[in-house]
Amino acid sequence: MSRIPIRLRVTLAFALASAVVLAALGWFVYARFDSELSEQIDQSLRTHGDDIASLVASGDLARNTSLLGREESFAQVLTPDGRIYASTPQLGSDPQITPAEAARASQSSFIVTRDTVRSISGQARLLARPADGPDGRLVVVAAASLDDRNDSLANLGTILLIGIPVALLLASMAGYVVSGRALRPVDVMRRRAAEISAAEPEARLPLPEADDEIRRLGETLNRMLGRLEAAIERERAFVDDASHELRTPLAMHKTELELALRYAKTPEEMRAAISSAIVEVDRLSQLAEDLLVLARSAEGKLALDLRRVGVAGLLGDLHERFSARIAATGRSLVVEPANGLTVEADRLRLEQALGNLVENALEHGGGEITLRASEGGGQVAIHVEDQGAGFAPEFIDRAFERFSRGDPSRGGDGTGLGLAIVDAIAQAHRGSAHAANRESAGADVWIALPER
Amino acid sequence: MRVLIVEDEAKMAGLIRKGLRQEGMAADIAPKGEEALWMAGSTEYDAIVLDLMLPGIDGFEVCRRLRDDGVYSPILMLTARDGVPDRVAGLDAGADDYLVKPFSYAELLARLRALARRTNGERSPELRVGDLRLDPARHQVWRGDREIELSAKEFAVLEVFMRRPGEVLSRFQLLEHAWDYEYENRSNIVDSYVRLLRRKIDRPFGTKSIQTVRGAGYRLREDGGRA
Repeated sequence: MSRIPIRLRVTLAFALASAVVLAALGWFVYARFDSELSEQIDQSLRTHGDDIASLVASGDLARNTSLLGREESFAQVLTPDGRIYASTPQLGSDPQITPAEAARASQSSFIVTRDTVRSISGQARLLARPADGPDGRLVVVAAASLDDRNDSLANLGTILLIGIPVALLLASMAGYVVSGRALRPVDVMRRRAAEISAAEPEARLPLPEADDEIRRLGETLNRMLGRLEAAIERERAFVDDASHELRTPLAMHKTELELALRYAKTPEEMRAAISSAIVEVDRLSQLAEDLLVLARSAEGKLALDLRRVGVAGLLGDLHERFSARIAATGRSLVVEPANGLTVEADRLRLEQALGNLVENALEHGGGEITLRASEGGGQVAIHVEDQGAGFAPEFIDRAFERFSRGDPSRGGDGTGLGLAIVDAIAQAHRGSAHAANRESAGADVWIALPER
Repeated sequence: MRVLIVEDEAKMAGLIRKGLRQEGMAADIAPKGEEALWMAGSTEYDAIVLDLMLPGIDGFEVCRRLRDDGVYSPILMLTARDGVPDRVAGLDAGADDYLVKPFSYAELLARLRALARRTNGERSPELRVGDLRLDPARHQVWRGDREIELSAKEFAVLEVFMRRPGEVLSRFQLLEHAWDYEYENRSNIVDSYVRLLRRKIDRPFGTKSIQTVRGAGYRLREDGGRA
């Protein structure tokens, strides 16, 4: 059943229900008509019987047997032992009931249906009743043909047998049409849905006007399309930004090489151009690497090798990695003790994220850089603080967005992705990244991870 | 020919200037829109290379304000955005041409030459004054059939003359179009280059194409000096 198309299924169910209702109705009408007709015939037989009984009672019967006959009915008057006393000519001189029946009828009246009664074609209804006359108790027998009734019933039967299927067929066709109409909004939505592609993400399904299941389905699907559109939009913006960001270093790279090819005359000039070009390639590689991390994390596919990581050891490694470079700029990197705190993390990724923060503090911040861990609320927060100018207030909210740069002149070699990657790595660890300005001076950027 | 480079990325700007100077052009750098506005207002640049993405007022706005200020130096927009709306907005803001990063340096040069040609109402890529011919693209100069070897700066000065034949050009005008701000000692550099030029384009041919106009400057005769 579930494999039949819904339109056909609805129609079939409708047809089945209609068939039951029509059949019941037909049967009821037929039965009712039947009993009505029978009752009429019986009633007229009784009246006839009464008439004859009164003839018998008045004693007129002996003189006028013709009074027995009346229109389509025929009658006999028998003695209680079953012999003819009087009869309409049509019924002839044979008694129409047996002596036993006559004996019974002399006691109380009854009506039976007979298949054959003389001079009556087809079935007949037969009434037998007692009647008292001057000659004592007699039995009146009256008969009436059931032909008309049977014909009428047969006609009605024929009409019903033809009419009901025709009505059923018409109703089913109407049902098919109506269910088709009811389902048309679904088909309209389906056709539209088939046309919607990523090329027109703003397209929505047409909704029927009635507030029904189909409209609610359409609204739900449209909300889904809305979410998909937003996702596509984000994706598009990212690709747009990414290609834009790739173009500037590429343009420089290309110009560098073209100029060298055009104008460099000495090996030294050529060498200088090539070294400079390599710097550009490094920058491009870094950008490509960063973009890959972001793209993977956006898909939730940033592979993490989660282990228990001691925060103290992690901060120690960072100190080792950066202290020489920081010292070379005349600044210092301080690591505060982390008191045996541990987190569950991918050590390399976490180190990359914290490394980006230290790099930022080194590049854009000032003064002493502090690495500090704290715990609270089931989380471990690892802070990177400096004593520079801090973030511009309008930048803080956008700090973790892709390609946003605090320094509007886009100075430095940054890709504008460092903090976005920190955020992506923190989120992949089911943590979060935050930025704020310290009350005294400088920036405080931290990653909060679930404690382990 | 003197070009203003409006580009915030210092390395990029430096590279473009380096290349333009190699071609004998004079080039200045404005790292911000604000600076570009006063620089272009105070010096008559033959072309402006304008990056769209600038801190502060952006390239579109710089373009619009320059035109509002009556600065009609041809503007070549340089941008990493290649969408049609961006290009339309750039051209409608008053830019004369549009180049998308990463561009080919050769194309940048060619477009700058085309812009210079258009401003001066020239049609032929070769400049001709009398029997003097100068090809800005190939950096070649001929007198009749004979090619003349010129240094980059001599070439630049001759190009300034040949773009305005018959006009009296002041030392300041020559300076403005052939040198950029980085030349500090300007006292008699124009005179010495004119001398060098005469030695190469006139003396071997017995012509007198560059005339001294007392108290005013110099003039390149429209017949190229061959009377």
